[in-house]
Amino acid sequence: MKKKIVNYSKARRKYLKSLRNNKILIIVLQFTVLLAFLGIWELLAQTEVIDPFFFSSPSRIAVTIVDLFQNGNLLLHMWTSLYETIIGFVLATFIGFVIAIILWWSERLRKVLEPYLIILNSLPKIALGPMIIFWVGSGTGATIVMCILICVIITTISMLNAFISCDNDKILLMKSMHAKKYQILFKLIIPNALPEFATALKINVGMSWVGTIMGEYLSSKAGLGYLINYGSQLLKLDIVMASIVILCLLASGMYFLVSPLEKKYKK
Amino acid sequence: MEKLLEFNNVKYFYQTKESEVCALNGVNFTVEKESFSSLVGPSGCGKTTILSLTAGLLTPSSGKILLDNKPVEQNDERIGYMFQRDHLFEWRSIWQNIILGLEIKKMKKDEKKLALAEDLLKKYDLYNFKNKKPRQLSGGMRQRVALIRTLVLEPALLLLDEPFSALDFQTRLKVCDDVYEIIKSEKKTALLVTHDISEALSMSDKIIILTKRPAEVKTELELSFPQETPLKKREDKDFGNYFEMIWRNLV
Repeated sequence: MKKKIVNYSKARRKYLKSLRNNKILIIVLQFTVLLAFLGIWELLAQTEVIDPFFFSSPSRIAVTIVDLFQNGNLLLHMWTSLYETIIGFVLATFIGFVIAIILWWSERLRKVLEPYLIILNSLPKIALGPMIIFWVGSGTGATIVMCILICVIITTISMLNAFISCDNDKILLMKSMHAKKYQILFKLIIPNALPEFATALKINVGMSWVGTIMGEYLSSKAGLGYLINYGSQLLKLDIVMASIVILCLLASGMYFLVSPLEKKYKK
Repeated sequence: MEKLLEFNNVKYFYQTKESEVCALNGVNFTVEKESFSSLVGPSGCGKTTILSLTAGLLTPSSGKILLDNKPVEQNDERIGYMFQRDHLFEWRSIWQNIILGLEIKKMKKDEKKLALAEDLLKKYDLYNFKNKKPRQLSGGMRQRVALIRTLVLEPALLLLDEPFSALDFQTRLKVCDDVYEIIKSEKKTALLVTHDISEALSMSDKIIILTKRPAEVKTELELSFPQETPLKKREDKDFGNYFEMIWRNLV
C-alpha cells in the first residue's frame, strides 16, 4: 500500500488517535478478562475454595495437555476430530447447496417437499444415532454421517431462502435479455446469495463440531469427543477439561478461517 | 412518420384466486420510429402490464401487438427494458454489468458490440468508472449505466418503466436530461411509463393517456415544444396549460 503524506488538522489527528486508542483499549481489556478468569480460577483451585478434582485448574490443564502430547496420542485425537469435522462440513455444505438449487429450480418439487424439510429440521438428529451405527457401522463413518445430518437441512433451508428471495425485477431483467434458466441461476441467483452462503458456512463450522462431538460420544475409538467421554468415565476430569480447551481452539480457528468470507461478501 | 409499435385492440385478463380481472379492455395506439412516447394514467391502471405485453413477458388475451409489422414474440429480442431501479449487479464491475446482456446472448467476443459498449461509456462520461463497482457510483450515474446496458443490445424499441422514480428530484431532472439526450442522439424509439405528468410532458413527442382499470386509451396528445431538452421544455409558456389538460383527463 502506498503511504500518503498528508497534513491533517489538529482535530483530525485527535480523532484518529482516539480511534486507535479505543481499539487498543478493547484488545487490552479482552486479554485482561481472559487473564483475570484464568488467574481467579487458578487461585480458587490452589486455595481449594473450589475442588480442583471436579473443576480442574489452568495449571493442571496445561500439565495434562503436555502429558497427552508426550504420550503421543493427543495429535491423533485432534486429527481425527478435525478430519471428521472438515469432511462433514464440506460434504454437508455441498449437498445442502445442491439440494437448494434443485428445489429452487422446481417450484412444484419445493412445495411438495416443504413439510418434509420442516419435519427433518425440527427432528433432533442425535435421536438417529443408534440407527446411524446400524447403517454405517461405528467409528469415523458414523461421526461424519452425524455431522452431515446436522448441517445439511439447515444449509438447504437457508440457501433456498436466499435463492427465492432474489428480487423479482432482477429476474425479469435477465428474462428481458433472453436469459435461460441456467443463466439466471449462475449469473444472478447464486452470486446474489453469496453473502448468505458465507453466513451458512459460519454457522456450519459450529454445527459440524456439534455433529463430530455427538458422533464421537456415540461410538468412536479416537477423537476429542472420545477423549472427553474416556476422561469422564475414568473420573479424570483434567483430561475432559484439557480436551474442551483444545476443542475450543480448533473450533474457533476454523471459524476465523471462514469468517473473512462473510466480511468480503457483506460489503 | 413510420410506425414501429402497434397495439391493435389488445385485451388482457389476469387470474387471481378470487376472480378474473380485466386489466386492458381493447387498447389501441401506435408508437412511431425514433419518437419518444409516454403512457400516463391513474395508478394501477395497467401501464406496466402494457410494457410487459410489449416485451413479450406476457401474452395478450386477445388482439394484436405488432413490432415493425411482425407480432411480438415471447421475450422479444427487439425490445430493451429499463426498470424503476437500475438493478445493477453489485458483485460485477460497471463494465461487467454493461456486457451482461452480451454474455447472456453469447456475444461476449463480438468486437462490434464491445466497441459499441466502449463508445457509449466514453460518450456518456463513464469510461473512467468501468472497473468500479456499482456502489461507488451516484444514483444518476447508475441509471446511465443501466441505460447503456440496455442500449448495447441495440434494441429496436426501449421500454422505460418509471426509470427515474427512485431518484431524488434534483438528480431526476438531470438524469431525465441525460437519458433523453442519449436516446435522441442514438436515434432510438422509446416508450415511457410514468405517473409524473411533467416528466412525460418534458420528454415526449406524444402522450397516450389511459383510463382507469380496465384501461383503454382515453386520448392522445402530440407535443412539439421548440426547446431541445426536457429541462428547458419545462420553462415553456404552454407547459402549464398542457399539464392542466392532462391532469383534467386523469381525474
